[in-house]
Amino acid sequence: MTSIAHEEQAIAEAGAWLARLQRGDVGEADGLEFDAWLDAAPQNRAAYKKSLAVWQAFEVSAEQVAAELAAASRRAPMRSAPTRRWMVAGGGLAVAAALAVTVLPGLLAQPETQTYVTGKGQHQRVALADGSVVDLNAESRLSVTLARSERRVVLDDGEAIFDVAHDARRPFNVAAANHVVRVVGTQFDVRNRQGELTVTVARGKVQVRPVAAAAAWRAYSLTAGQRMEVAQNGAVALRTVDPQETFSWRVGRLVYREQPLAEVVADLNRQFVEQIEIGDPALGEIPITGVIILDDPKSVMSRLSLMLPVRTVPSDRGLLLLRK
Amino acid sequence: MEKRENLLLFLAARTRSLESAEDLVQDLYLKIVALDAGADVRAPTAMLYRMASNLLIDQVRSVQRSSRRSAEWRMDTRVIHGGEDVVDEPPADEVVAGKQQVRLLTEAVAALPPKMGQAFRLHKLEGLSQAQTAQAMGVSIKMVEQHIQAAIRHLTQRLRP
Repeated sequence: MTSIAHEEQAIAEAGAWLARLQRGDVGEADGLEFDAWLDAAPQNRAAYKKSLAVWQAFEVSAEQVAAELAAASRRAPMRSAPTRRWMVAGGGLAVAAALAVTVLPGLLAQPETQTYVTGKGQHQRVALADGSVVDLNAESRLSVTLARSERRVVLDDGEAIFDVAHDARRPFNVAAANHVVRVVGTQFDVRNRQGELTVTVARGKVQVRPVAAAAAWRAYSLTAGQRMEVAQNGAVALRTVDPQETFSWRVGRLVYREQPLAEVVADLNRQFVEQIEIGDPALGEIPITGVIILDDPKSVMSRLSLMLPVRTVPSDRGLLLLRK
Repeated sequence: MEKRENLLLFLAARTRSLESAEDLVQDLYLKIVALDAGADVRAPTAMLYRMASNLLIDQVRSVQRSSRRSAEWRMDTRVIHGGEDVVDEPPADEVVAGKQQVRLLTEAVAALPPKMGQAFRLHKLEGLSQAQTAQAMGVSIKMVEQHIQAAIRHLTQRLRP
């Protein structure tokens, strides 16, 4: 076969695959065969991408194209001279085909994804190309994709403050713990630790919704000063907070209101390489309220021990907390 | 991770855009990580496609006509919270295509042979399933799939992205 014939063959097969993947009972076997076909020859992949771009172009404008077709058939209901009509249309087609080349390939451009990771005791400020700024807390992992139609961030683990540059045409979506936080331009903090999600808004407005379409009704709008907490079991709590308290980690402080010592220690263990262990589990339950200045673990613990019935002893990993 | 693009292309057959397929892939990998926090993400290919197919059947079906779904969803949000829409623009992948492109696409569909064009309109443009399209046209599901397959080939050759 000539290379053109090869390409025609690949285009035909790509069409067959796209049609087959629309089946109501598409399954694992289809997937594996499709996978093998894609890998079998580079022209298969290229042909499939072309067909897919066309297929999705129709998806985006399905309603408009359907309406145009309906209008056209109303204008010319079974006329006896449709040939001439379409010959006229045909004159425009060479132009049309040439234009299509510039209209469609944008759908295929794969935007790049950048990943940022911080370790214990590390903070990182990331300036994104769209003008947004992300401050990454310690022990966090985040990836950013600036796509044509959206700015997409995945916070796999950890916490970050987002200062989002306004761009109404490109929403800023943060995916974390099976939820999507959607904004246009605002400042907010997202925390995803041990499967628990917290979103705190300082400025503007954001929307949080579960990723699963079936649970879309559980979407929430948050405005400045609001915090949403989603527990691992999906339970949602909304409260009013001073956002600056949540944002304080960026300037080396942690603010707590009635939070158990165990949580405070878990936070401190992300901020310092030297690790703190709680020797007696009952100590972990003590509620903590106050501001902790993140200088070094020894000073932090000596200040805490002034308020709490605890003392610290050095351990092989850092510090051990014991009852006084 | 080498399977990632293949999975993306698999899922994209049923999503509105590559971006939304990318979301599904992301979701899939997160699920795999959640299945076994210790395991790395080189899950066997069969399992990846099993999970991807389930996503297609469970999730994509419900969002397929997602401009409609999205409008409903925005309304739900309004009803629940009594607030305004958060996003003052429609999601970018739903931004209406330019007039020029709509005309090109319309002409391409109008040029398809009649049965093929009808199958394409019902299935792709009006959002009927293959089975519903078969019923509407009084032909077998297999025949609908063949019409769709041929339509995609014609349209791709004509529009040549």
